[in-house]
Amino acid sequence: MAYTLTPQHVDKLHRILDDLLVQSEAEGCLVCDQAGHVLDHAGLATQSPQLLSALGAGVFAATGELARLLGEGEFSIVLHEGNRKSILMCAVSEEALITVIFSDSASVGIVKLYAPTAAASVRGVLEEAREAGIYAESETAAFVLSDSDAVFKLAEPAAVPS
Amino acid sequence: MAFINYGSREIQLKIVYYGPGLCGKTTNLQIIHEMISPQSKGDLTSLATAQDRTLFFDFMPLVADVIAGFKTRFQMYTVPGQVMYNMTRRLVLRGADGVVFVADSQWPKMEENVESFANLEENVRLQGDSLDTLPYVLQYNKRDLNDVAPRNYLEFLLNNRAERQLSFESTATRGEGVFETLNAVARLVLDRFITTHTGRERQPRELVLV
Repeated sequence: MAYTLTPQHVDKLHRILDDLLVQSEAEGCLVCDQAGHVLDHAGLATQSPQLLSALGAGVFAATGELARLLGEGEFSIVLHEGNRKSILMCAVSEEALITVIFSDSASVGIVKLYAPTAAASVRGVLEEAREAGIYAESETAAFVLSDSDAVFKLAEPAAVPS
Repeated sequence: MAFINYGSREIQLKIVYYGPGLCGKTTNLQIIHEMISPQSKGDLTSLATAQDRTLFFDFMPLVADVIAGFKTRFQMYTVPGQVMYNMTRRLVLRGADGVVFVADSQWPKMEENVESFANLEENVRLQGDSLDTLPYVLQYNKRDLNDVAPRNYLEFLLNNRAERQLSFESTATRGEGVFETLNAVARLVLDRFITTHTGRERQPRELVLV
């Protein structure tokens, strides 16, 4: 499923994530789709959202297969608990998930309590975005490719001191 | 599939390197990471075994300024090539916008190349897509070795669908052919993205909320 998020959708997602951070006292959270694309994130100061998203989507997908192996359908919540930091992943739908990072000062129970509520709200926004379709903004945005043949360029060779 | 964020003016696209075990998929990403301009790349992360065989995937984010007014992010992945990791390959392939099929040019690897390509076709089909529409390019790697099949034979074996795709010879360990392959698949993915989002197959207007 491809998502096209308008600024309004992004605002709604961001409010949901901000609320989740306040309610759960978590450090950061993000929403990503099953392909590992970052849909939105909040509070991530040092971690790369792209990497968290890629790894989170991978872990969640693998866990989903484990669940199916056990005849469970899905595990709606996956928790990795560390000494100082923990991660909780919660299914938003079959196509997206919410990842919450929290330290030992936050309560696992509180995060577990609020994450599914946030996930339900995110689901509502994504359904809205899906109904809007992939051309939601095409009246105002035209995608124009640059003329350059090379999308990616090699690094400049280091200058040789004279 | 592609993700567009009009809030942050970002487009995200996913490219997967596919192919049999030890064909050079991870080497491609390592060389790209080594040689690409620093402002275009993020960290390369490998989920590998102690023997450096890919266990889950390799991942590297790239950024390019190719669509006016948008930052275009490419999420680059490799799959584990070993036959037993098929379920992992399916998971990594989810939502791919483009594929690079890396073949090992050595004669003894032909059967594995064909099996892996058939496996790619099957896994793409299982996610509701088709190689008839999904952009992909072929890379014939390890051309520096002695016991390699001629390019024509590899074309006959792997590039024999109704529509022939772009293919490149490479020696990934030396960086030869790596960027040509990367730029070709990126261009195909971008062309498809532009066609899909501004092209003829527009959805009915009544479904559009602006």
